[in-house]
Amino acid sequence: MRNRLEALRRERGIRQEELAAALEVSRQTIGSLENGRYNPSILLAFKIAKYFGVRIEDVFIFEEETK
Amino acid sequence: MKKGLYTTLAVGGLILAAAGLIALKMGAAPDGFLQVLCYVAIGCGCGAFGHGMGELLRYRALKNAPDVQKQLEIERTDERNVAVGNRAKSAAFDAMLYIYAALNLALAMMQADLAVVLLLVFAYLLVVGLSIYYRCKFEKIM
Repeated sequence: MRNRLEALRRERGIRQEELAAALEVSRQTIGSLENGRYNPSILLAFKIAKYFGVRIEDVFIFEEETK
Repeated sequence: MKKGLYTTLAVGGLILAAAGLIALKMGAAPDGFLQVLCYVAIGCGCGAFGHGMGELLRYRALKNAPDVQKQLEIERTDERNVAVGNRAKSAAFDAMLYIYAALNLALAMMQADLAVVLLLVFAYLLVVGLSIYYRCKFEKIM
């Protein structure tokens, strides 16, 4: 799953630390999400979407695995 | 409330360790079960004192730093940190099953006392049984 978290954050000029504090997660979690190393829980995904005022699908892009 | 509990633990631990040490030095327990009890009292006392004192110092250090306290709470409950911890525990458990089995085999080949081998076998089976129990439990609630 890809995501547009870094792009959305940069658009709004927010630092990782600020976003982490607003979402009540660690800064490392934000870094891992942006790098695509970690997929968030549905709860955190909703919190992120709500924070940026967009839909979940606008932040997280589901990619079906090709066989 | 918690401060009182940790103070009790630290003071109780200190008393227990001191009592064990004094009893041992004064020769109140020359040998046998009482001597073992003294060593157990010293061990448990030191553990309780260390844990209680550590928590008290932590409480004192964080008392006037609510921002640090909040950050620590965030780090503790952070979903990625929890997931990382659970994954590490899971990997360690998988490794433990092989280590236990190897240890059992080694002890049996060394012709160790049957009681020791059987105790290890029961401990191994208990751990496997607990893993099955929790699997069934989580199947129901998840």
